[in-house]
Amino acid sequence: MAFSNGYVFGFATVICVVCSVALSGVSLSLRDRQELNRERDLHKNILFALGLPEDGGQLDGPMIDELWEKRVQQRFFTPENKKAGPELDQDGDGDLDQLDVDLARKGAEEGAKPAVLSVYVRIDGDDVGAIAVPLNGKGLWGPIGGYLALDPTASTVMGATFSAPKETPGLGAEITEPRFVEQWKGKKLKDGGGPAAIRVVKGEATNLCPDTLDQCVDGVSGATITSRGVDEMVATAVTYYDAYLKNPKGAF
Amino acid sequence: MSSPATEIQQERAPLLPFGKKERQNIVDPLSDNNPITVQVLGICSALAVTIQVNRSLVMAAAVIAVLCTSNVVISLIRNLIPPSIRIIVQLAIIASLVIVVDQVLQAFLYDISKQLSVFVGLIITNCIIMGRAEAFAMANPPWQSFLDGIGNGLGYGIILVIVAFFREILGSGSLLGFAVIPQALYDLGYVNNGLMVLAPGAFILLGLMIWAQRTWSGYTEEA
Repeated sequence: MAFSNGYVFGFATVICVVCSVALSGVSLSLRDRQELNRERDLHKNILFALGLPEDGGQLDGPMIDELWEKRVQQRFFTPENKKAGPELDQDGDGDLDQLDVDLARKGAEEGAKPAVLSVYVRIDGDDVGAIAVPLNGKGLWGPIGGYLALDPTASTVMGATFSAPKETPGLGAEITEPRFVEQWKGKKLKDGGGPAAIRVVKGEATNLCPDTLDQCVDGVSGATITSRGVDEMVATAVTYYDAYLKNPKGAF
Repeated sequence: MSSPATEIQQERAPLLPFGKKERQNIVDPLSDNNPITVQVLGICSALAVTIQVNRSLVMAAAVIAVLCTSNVVISLIRNLIPPSIRIIVQLAIIASLVIVVDQVLQAFLYDISKQLSVFVGLIITNCIIMGRAEAFAMANPPWQSFLDGIGNGLGYGIILVIVAFFREILGSGSLLGFAVIPQALYDLGYVNNGLMVLAPGAFILLGLMIWAQRTWSGYTEEA
């Protein structure tokens, strides 16, 4: 059977339209569920870094939401460690939320600190039991991020969580695996005086920085750029949060 | 063209026949014409997702779903597809189906979709699916193409799960995530084989399987 050129073009167009309509439909109808999954996954990782649930058990859907509502608060402050109010609102909706923090970070000039910062804190009764400091940086292929959970005095790391959506599975994406994450527990975010970043070294920390072992973690082999990205994002966070880390109770 | 006799025959033929030929469609690819061990297709994903059994089960399910649907869809429109653009049309259909599967996994099996990461997307480039579309679905009716999809998908899945079974036991000492090697054995000095967690471990296992399967079935490569 011979097909005319017109038929071939027509057929190709029909296939393209049918496929794209089907894909848009699927993507639209599943988007809410996917976003809920992504948000819960993020919350689960932050909760885990903050040491919740206390029994170390597994969390599923609604339990994550419940624990997140009850035990976690987001706090906003300025780089000078003053409690931030609605005057620092970036998107003009009248109150402070994660979007304002993201906008402030993206809007900050090179080398300058963002106008508004935030942390998540774990509430134990009336006290703060742990602090999760957000990290944002660059990997090899795209943005990487994470949270560093600290004790209430902001000196010792209690846990960490990293995300690396664009990094290569098996190489850069290994920073999300327990083998890398577990190393951060117990590291010190202070050296003598003020807050100091924890370094990610290329190779084994025991050989490379034997004297400052509690401020060094092993990088991931085969993922030099991603490891450097983690190193840099911790250093950046320590610079931004310097005043807060010196006195985490100051503004609250 | 058709004489009355054949018309009567067509009327009597069941809508979804399941005779010797249909059985062959399913059974053949399981062993004698296995897509991995005989045709050596789909090796990339067979290496990548066989670290744990549950990952390969999900991957196998995803491939079976894509393969069956793409076979049926392509078979339904096989007489409408202009031969000059048939490969592109097959690819467009397969790619769309893979994205649908990826979206569904992200919505309903988020943790596993995170583990499989890029490999779900790479089903698009899995030669088995293009191969079956081109070799079978373009020339056969939908029902047979559907069975062919099941057969080849299962043939792929079986190999995946067998490789994953050995890799998980030898590499991580677990099965479906549960530890199966007793702690006492570790205390005696047994260690997990790190090679099995890496891609070369899968290569070696796959090579051994291809050898065993071809010896058993007597298949030889044409020179």
